[in-house]
Parts: sequence; structure tokens; C-alpha cells
Amino acid sequence: MTKNSDTKYKIYRGFTVVIRWVMFAVVAFFILFPVYWIFISSITPPGELFKTPIDYLPDHPTLESYSFLIQNVGLLAKIGSTVIIIGVTLVVGTIICVMGAYGFARFRSKAVSAAFGFIVATMLIPEVVTARPLYEFMQKVKLFDTYPGLIILYISSVIPFTVLILRNFVAEIPVSLEEAASIDGANFVQRLFLVVLPLMKPAIATVCIINFINCLNNFFTPLYYSNGIQVLSVAIVQLPLRDNMYGVPWDLVSAMGWIILLPIIIFVAVFEKQIMDGIMAGGVKA
Amino acid sequence: MINKKSLQWIAWVLILPVLLIRGFTTIYPILKTVINSFYDIRILSGVHEFAGVSNYLNIFKDQKVITTLEFTGVFVVVSMFFHIILGVGLALILNMKFKGRRFLRTIVLIPWAMPAVVIGMAGKWAFNNDYGLINDLVRRFVPGFELHWLINTGTARAAVIALDLWKDLPFFAILILSGLQFISSDIYEAAKVDGANAVKSFFYITLPLIMRNVLTLCIPFTLWRLTGFDLVYSMTSGGPGEDTSLIAYRITMEAFTNLNVGYAAALAVLLFLVMAVFSWFNMRFMNRFED
Repeated sequence: MTKNSDTKYKIYRGFTVVIRWVMFAVVAFFILFPVYWIFISSITPPGELFKTPIDYLPDHPTLESYSFLIQNVGLLAKIGSTVIIIGVTLVVGTIICVMGAYGFARFRSKAVSAAFGFIVATMLIPEVVTARPLYEFMQKVKLFDTYPGLIILYISSVIPFTVLILRNFVAEIPVSLEEAASIDGANFVQRLFLVVLPLMKPAIATVCIINFINCLNNFFTPLYYSNGIQVLSVAIVQLPLRDNMYGVPWDLVSAMGWIILLPIIIFVAVFEKQIMDGIMAGGVKA
Repeated sequence: MINKKSLQWIAWVLILPVLLIRGFTTIYPILKTVINSFYDIRILSGVHEFAGVSNYLNIFKDQKVITTLEFTGVFVVVSMFFHIILGVGLALILNMKFKGRRFLRTIVLIPWAMPAVVIGMAGKWAFNNDYGLINDLVRRFVPGFELHWLINTGTARAAVIALDLWKDLPFFAILILSGLQFISSDIYEAAKVDGANAVKSFFYITLPLIMRNVLTLCIPFTLWRLTGFDLVYSMTSGGPGEDTSLIAYRITMEAFTNLNVGYAAALAVLLFLVMAVFSWFNMRFMNRFED
């Protein structure tokens, strides 16, 4: 290689590196800056939010909005109901979906395949189509505004995605492993728990992580199927206006928003790989 | 595989819980919605009588619904257009091999994981003329800039679409990325040897290879746009007027606020039919594309 083309190559390399970091900065700014703005708004004293230009490094940081949420809005109770609903949904939902996935993957008959087709096809049904009759039905059977009622609806919302992903995963576990175990005298239950379940651990972890996020994002269900029980996603649209006339209690919204965001950011940072795998495997929406 | 007839009952025991829960929340409500759509049910005035297809005919006389359908169309088309263009771009950025990659891939998950209502509430304030983030940033370059985003039809619509893109674009890009990762770098090496530059390899190698993936992704993303609710509910409540109201939002308002249940059911059936036709049409199209 001549000296001239060597320098040219170096310039070219340097140019690509600069372009890459510029694109990196643009994407990072677009995503992180609004998130940062929500954070600083939440620790700015409410009066100072009505200031222009915005002070991106608040002079008098305070946790006043957070303590107002705890004392006057019942933040802790709302966190409690959110945790209960999501927790039970994840545990019960995962158990029945693992059972279902195993059944769909290992037993083949026309009726079983049709049932699987039904579960997947229900993904297409928008919740507004079912909402009103389901709302009336929930009231009739006294499940409206109860934990069991909400949990059933939450579980229902995670079933199609979870069953689809787990079934495809089980289908790839060689049946020969189970056959070997049954030759050694393992019965059906032992095969499921001692052979298949340990192999499913990574897939189960992935769907749990994604379902956690989906449940936290669920807004329609808690908004229309409950009154007294308030989860965080509903609470944020029903915050009281303190002394401001702009229609958005931004002091409280930003604080509540940050309370929802913090676990999400930690989650995403810790489970980046599993979430990526899960999204790519199923491509199902939050 | 277990095909023995005598063991089939185990399968049903295993799949019964998911079937029951899913059936309970879908089959009865859908049938009931279809039935309701032929009745005039207005809870506030205590009306409940058979109405034939009049609910369906009223849809096309209802100015609110016509505006809603218009915005739903604009929303879907414009948002999907930018999803494809910017989504492919973002996927390429996420696929670059450099030190910041893992960090970028982590932060793009944040908008995906954030509840749409949080984004909507923040958006309502961000697009505020006096104290919002957007105008504040614009004013740093254009002093004295004033724009009441959410009060004017055009800008309110643009703001809703922009926030929709902020939330969902990363998700779309990640799904395109999963296709990109399967393209072997050998192909690019070979193209380079033959004298292709980066632009040429993108249009002649990358794009044809991910095209099918992108078009397939457009199906669920379009359906999700058609049923969008959270963002509009929290950000604009459909305003100004009905100019940013989406069809799912309109249906919910008729069903739960105006308590015009029969009419809401007719709208819901219409939405469901549109979605079914769209999916069917797309599957036909994708099959042809494959040949």
C-alpha cells in the first residue's frame, strides 16, 4: 500500500468513527433528554416550574412533590395494588401458560391445534371491541373493581404472547429427552418438572420480564374495570390540580412519572439481553 | 410427541386454564357486541329496543365519527411512513459495530417500556406553549418562538404522531434489527471487493433482504395504530374538537361516557371488520410476495 492511500484510509476511518458517534449522540439525546426533563421537573419546587426558559439544573432541588404524593394522594397504596396485581398475574399466569404451552407442544390432535389457533387468533381482538359487554358482565358476577377480577383480565391479556413463545420453545426441546426419562421410570409429572421445566428457565425468565413491562403499561383494563383499586398507570391521569391553571399538574405528574420510570430504567438496564431476545422471538407489543 | 388417544385428556387438563380465561374474556363479549350493534341502547335515556341496521347507517351521518375516521387514517399512514423510513435508519444505527452499541440498545428500550399514558401526560406539558420542553428547546435557536401546539388542528395532530413515533419507533427498529443480524458480513465484503460503496450495498443488499421483514412488521404495527387509545386519552382527549380523536378512543367515549352502547357496538364491529379485512388482504399480498 502506498503512503498516500494509507492516509486516505485513515481519514476515511476517522470520518466513519465521527459519523457513528454523532448518530449515537442524536439518538441518545432524543431518548434521554425528555426522560431527564421529567426527572428535573419532579425535583423542582412547583412554583419554579412556571419559569421560562427552563432551568435544566434546578437551583433548589426538593422532594416536596414526592412527599405530597405519599401524604395526600395515597401513593404507597397505589404502589401496593400495582405490585399485588402484577405479582399474582406473573405467578399464576406463568404457571398456567407453562402448562398450556407444554400441552400445545406435546399433544397433537385436531382439537388441540384448533384450541391453539384460537388462543393466537384472539391476539387480533382489540380491547375496545370487548370492553362494554365485559364491563357489564364483570359487574354482574361481582368481579368488577376486585383484585380477582382485575387479575383475571391481566392474565388474559398476557396469555396469547406467553403461550405462543413458550409453546415454540417447548417444541424445540427434543422429545427423546423425555422418552429417555420415561424409560428410566419417570412418570408424566416427573418428566414435566424434572426434565422440561429446568430447560425452560431462560424462556420463562424472558416472558416474565416482558409481561412485567406489559402489565405495568396496561391502562385500559384498570381504567374501566375498577374504581377503588387504583394502579399507577391510572393514577397518573387522575392527579389533583394544585395551584395551577394550565390543566396539567406537572409537578405531581412528573414525580409520579418518575416513580413509574425508575423501576423500568433499572429493569431495562439489568435485563437488556433477555428483553431483546424476547422481543425478537415474539414481536409482541407492550 | 404424544398421539395416544388415551392420553389426550392430559392435554385438555393442561390447556384448559388458558382456554377458559381467554374464552371468558373474548367469546361472550364479542358475540354480545355484535348483538348490541343491532339495538338502540342508550342507558342515560333508558332506551333499549331493536333498531336493525340504523346504528350502522348513523355512523356515516355522524360528523364526530367522520372527523375521527379522517384522523385515524392520517395517523396510521403518516406514522407508518415514518416508522418505515426512520425505523430502518435506527435499526442500521443499532447494528453498527462500535463501543456505544450496548448502551444504545439499552436506552432504546426505555420508550418501549414506558406506559403510553406517562408519555401522553408528559407530552401534554412538553407541547405547552409557555413552559413546555419543545418550545423551550426551539426558543434557544429561534428567540421569541410561540406556538400553541395542542390548540391548532395541524400541530396537535403532528404532536400526537410525534409522540407515537417516540414511543414505538425503537420497538419497530429492534424488530428490524433482528432481521439485519442474520445478514452475513461476507456479502458486504464481497460487494466491497466488487467496488460497491456503503450507499450501494444498502440499496442492493440490505434493503432487498430486510424488505419482507419490514412489510410483515407493518401488519401488526398498522393494527396497533388502528386501535390506539392510551396516548390520545392522556394527551389531547381527542381535542381540539375531535381533531385528534382515534377510532378506539371514539368507541370508548360512546360506550363509557355517552353510554350510547348500541352505537358504540356498531362502531366496534366496523373497526373489527376493517382490521380483519386488512389482515386478510395483507396475508394474500404477503403470499404473492413470497412467490
